[in-house]
Amino acid sequence: MTSAVDAVTAAGDIDAKKSPAFPGESSMWFFIIGDLLIFGVYFVAYMIYRGQNQALFLHSQQFLNQGIGATNTVVLLTSSLFVALGTQAARVGKSVDAYRLFGLAVVFGVLFPFLKMVEWIPKISIGITPGENLFFMYYYVMTGLHLCHVLLGLVILGFVMRNVRVSKERSHPPNIKFVETGAMYWHMVDLLWLVLFALFYLMR
Amino acid sequence: MTAYLRNSLTYVWAFLVVITVASWFIGRGHGAAYQLDAAITVGVLLIAALKAQLVIRYFMEVRFASRWLKRTAYGWNIALLSLLLLFYWLSL
Repeated sequence: MTSAVDAVTAAGDIDAKKSPAFPGESSMWFFIIGDLLIFGVYFVAYMIYRGQNQALFLHSQQFLNQGIGATNTVVLLTSSLFVALGTQAARVGKSVDAYRLFGLAVVFGVLFPFLKMVEWIPKISIGITPGENLFFMYYYVMTGLHLCHVLLGLVILGFVMRNVRVSKERSHPPNIKFVETGAMYWHMVDLLWLVLFALFYLMR
Repeated sequence: MTAYLRNSLTYVWAFLVVITVASWFIGRGHGAAYQLDAAITVGVLLIAALKAQLVIRYFMEVRFASRWLKRTAYGWNIALLSLLLLFYWLSL
């Protein structure tokens, strides 16, 4: 534990020299890289199809709620911050703090699907569905696929919290590899949304 | 708990929020019909790539990771930005 404590400065920042070669399990990194490549292909395909239907995409984009899109971006960034801080706390064996920080991450994380429903339901109720046109097909499929990642991420964060809670109760340090693995997945979910927000809501 | 907020990650987060609002400001609708606009598109895509880079580097701690992971993660971001800009430019 001493070395782990030494790895954290007074400000709570981790020391580059004493951190792992990569955070979490290597298998999760292969999954993350695979997922980033798959979404990357979708993003590029969206741009190509958009180029062939500029007027349709520009017109359809006006029906999206930019305010909710921007709010959801801040929500995920904030959730990611708490996950990153929780990971640092878990790394130095501060299970109580880690548990609270991951709890805050889940609170913000749950806001995302809620706001997504606030965004989707009025659209679907006036008949704007994936069948509307190519833009909305991409919009519902890609944001829907991302939403599935968010929901899975929330379940994973739940398991991370359980791991930290058990370590808190038994007064032993959390399983840091497990905590880091869950954290990396959640950051990837955040990362994908940053690109989706620019492509669907903002670009012209 | 508040001690955790005195952390370089919090400054990164604050910057991410500021540039998110900035990109919204750049790309926000004014009630008028959306027009093709390369300046807005390049601006919001560059900001998105910068945000992605910061999340990869600081939140995902890739700045401390091995060289292969750094190259792969940063390479994905740069390749994606380049391809998005290329296909946008080809469509103009």
